[in-house]
Amino acid sequence: MAITSPVMYVICVLLNLPLFTFHPATNRFAWGWEAARSGEGPAMYWYGWVATVLIVGLIVGIVATMLPASVTRKIPLALVWLLPMLAIPIMAYTLMPFWTHP
Amino acid sequence: MLISVNTFWTILLIIHGLLAVALLGALTHQAVAVLMPVRQAAAAGFVTRFRAVPAAGYATAVCVLWILTFLMGAWIYTKYRIYVRIPIEQAGYWKTQGFFDLKEHVATLGLVTLPAYWYFWKNAHNPDYDIARKVVTVLIATMCWFLFLVGHVLNNVRGFGS
Repeated sequence: MAITSPVMYVICVLLNLPLFTFHPATNRFAWGWEAARSGEGPAMYWYGWVATVLIVGLIVGIVATMLPASVTRKIPLALVWLLPMLAIPIMAYTLMPFWTHP
Repeated sequence: MLISVNTFWTILLIIHGLLAVALLGALTHQAVAVLMPVRQAAAAGFVTRFRAVPAAGYATAVCVLWILTFLMGAWIYTKYRIYVRIPIEQAGYWKTQGFFDLKEHVATLGLVTLPAYWYFWKNAHNPDYDIARKVVTVLIATMCWFLFLVGHVLNNVRGFGS
């Protein structure tokens, strides 16, 4: 889970793949990605990204426990900390409009 | 109603902050303990005692605190999005808002690292995991400090009760 989830999270954010969209002003949920509606305030995608990542991460994690030890031993343990570390600068890059806004 | 809506959300924010303080303390103790382990107990000063905690005993508490802090943050985020973020953008604090968005990403990346972190600490006697355990612990401690400081600064942007 710790290896696949950071990758999945980056993909979800870059490709905008939330499981659902939440509209906080009206407390309304919609499946998948939905744009903010006129007069209904902003739309929130973060909850949907987190839900996507947790579900996919959980499924992959359960599958990984069924793999034989000869396979799991070949997965470098360093990926557990390397992938979240690499994901942070990518996430910071996606926020470029905030850093460069005049 | 017993308390006003503003008071309700302020209480939730304070609980979120207190959970974060507890998490920060536990993770800092643990990270210092793995980075600078105390080899022998001797007449010790404050710093040595700070390093000498039984680090493995913190793992479950750290996971529980991270999840609780995350859930509280996710709950108050619904109000933040409307009543805090919009005024921040209107005031032109773009970098501040950027750091908040980065905070939500870092908090999630920390959350998904917890199962491995917990596993490494539950197998603390296995030398195969020594390096990974040390790096993951320092990584999520660093994440926690970042999250805490960004949250603290954001809380100060508009001032208490505004």
